[in-house]
Amino acid sequence: MIEVQTIYNVPYGEALGVPIAVYFYLTGLSAGSFILSTLAYGFGMARYKPLGKIGVVLATLLLVVAPVNLMIDLEQPWRFWELFYYINLTSAISWGSFLLTLYPINCVIYGTFMFMGKARLTKIFGLIGIPLALSVHGYTGFILALAKARILWNTALMPFIFLVSAMVSGIAMMILVAIVRDKYFSAERKINMDLINGLVVMLIGSIVADLTLIGTDILVLLNSHDEAYEAAQLILTGAFRNIFLGGEIFLGALIPLALLSNRITRTPFGITVASVLVMIGIFAMRYTMVIGGQAIPQH
Amino acid sequence: MEGNGSRKKGKRYAMLIDLRRCLGCHSCAVACKSENDVPLGVYRTWVKIVEKGSYPNVRRVFVPSLCNNCERPVCLSVCPVKATYRRPDGIVMIDEHRCIGCKYCMAACPYDARHVNPIKKIVQKCYFCFHRVDAGLVPACVNTCPGGARVFGDVNDPESEISRLIATNPVQVLKPEKGTEPRVYYIGLDEMAAKAKVEEA
Repeated sequence: MIEVQTIYNVPYGEALGVPIAVYFYLTGLSAGSFILSTLAYGFGMARYKPLGKIGVVLATLLLVVAPVNLMIDLEQPWRFWELFYYINLTSAISWGSFLLTLYPINCVIYGTFMFMGKARLTKIFGLIGIPLALSVHGYTGFILALAKARILWNTALMPFIFLVSAMVSGIAMMILVAIVRDKYFSAERKINMDLINGLVVMLIGSIVADLTLIGTDILVLLNSHDEAYEAAQLILTGAFRNIFLGGEIFLGALIPLALLSNRITRTPFGITVASVLVMIGIFAMRYTMVIGGQAIPQH
Repeated sequence: MEGNGSRKKGKRYAMLIDLRRCLGCHSCAVACKSENDVPLGVYRTWVKIVEKGSYPNVRRVFVPSLCNNCERPVCLSVCPVKATYRRPDGIVMIDEHRCIGCKYCMAACPYDARHVNPIKKIVQKCYFCFHRVDAGLVPACVNTCPGGARVFGDVNDPESEISRLIATNPVQVLKPEKGTEPRVYYIGLDEMAAKAKVEEA
């Protein structure tokens, strides 16, 4: 091998910081909890009715908090309004301007009708909200996928990885919310195991789908061009090994799968631990994608 | 990268860096800083230095880098507020009064040619010294290069010096696989040096 050494180069910095990873995490939780809330009120699955109201409240609150992260990451936060005035249809961030406006408005309308007890209108706005919820999180996948400089981001799988991981974290959060509410705030202080078991099955399915997508992504990265191989090495053996393999895959997916899929550990306590781990794991995924994606210098 | 010219009519400015003439003196970086008031810690053009081989077969390779003012710029398509735009002569510009500093362009640029101005809090990059070009001068780096390695001109004019050099020499661009059609050409670009990265130092 010919030795090649860089003697001088200009310093290199990452463009998108941790607030962006937090933003992606919160929109994911919001989209996930919205979709769970429509199971009962949009699709009439009575078992999930206890999730309806809390789901829409969380979806709305999370989506009000999430864009604050976008604002604090701007160099010129007071020019935020320009995002709604100058539109660039080829920019995924510009799509967000519409989605981040329409989705919370729809959440509020849907939630209002739900609390007023108007079943038909609730159903209509719940169903309208599903494509909006999918888009509001799917577009964040496009933000990364369309930035062609970053090989870890620039894949057609990215929007789908984001959607599935949103479901994973959303379901885990709703399990935690349901357990805490039943145990400490309900009249009978008894956990609704019928509801939890239904969510656990969904959670297992989503984790398996998530692992499949990530596995597919890595397998192709390993067998593509040199930069792609380098990106795969970064998360498998390099600087992001611990947070990706340890945090996202082992703690965030494999351990929860083990806890949820056998009868001995599938107790309220085991399910709680698994859900907490899943939520940490998905944050590790957002961090690996956003920060790790920028860790390979461009020159 | 189809040919040296452009699909567009009219002027198309480009730069050619003849690495056989580059001394690695960093004059271009200094001239750029003073011409464009580039703050401490950031650069709009810089010279990457790479050492190849093992003694006694060694060589020091220079890769002067700057914004490629691409024909198909990623920064332009990802900017959510259209602060990045293109002049009719091909120079890719940033409206400093419009840039919100979301840094999406920085994340998307395959050449890492953009930086945040730590004083003005907006994103900036090389604009081929458009203010000098408009006054009939060449960019500051071209003007100052002691080896005459940098040549600036209109690639849509077949009689220009840059067109003649590109037509009669083997030329390279950085990362052609990114599909950005860069407008900074090199003669004698070492691919190993171009790909070498910081961590390997």
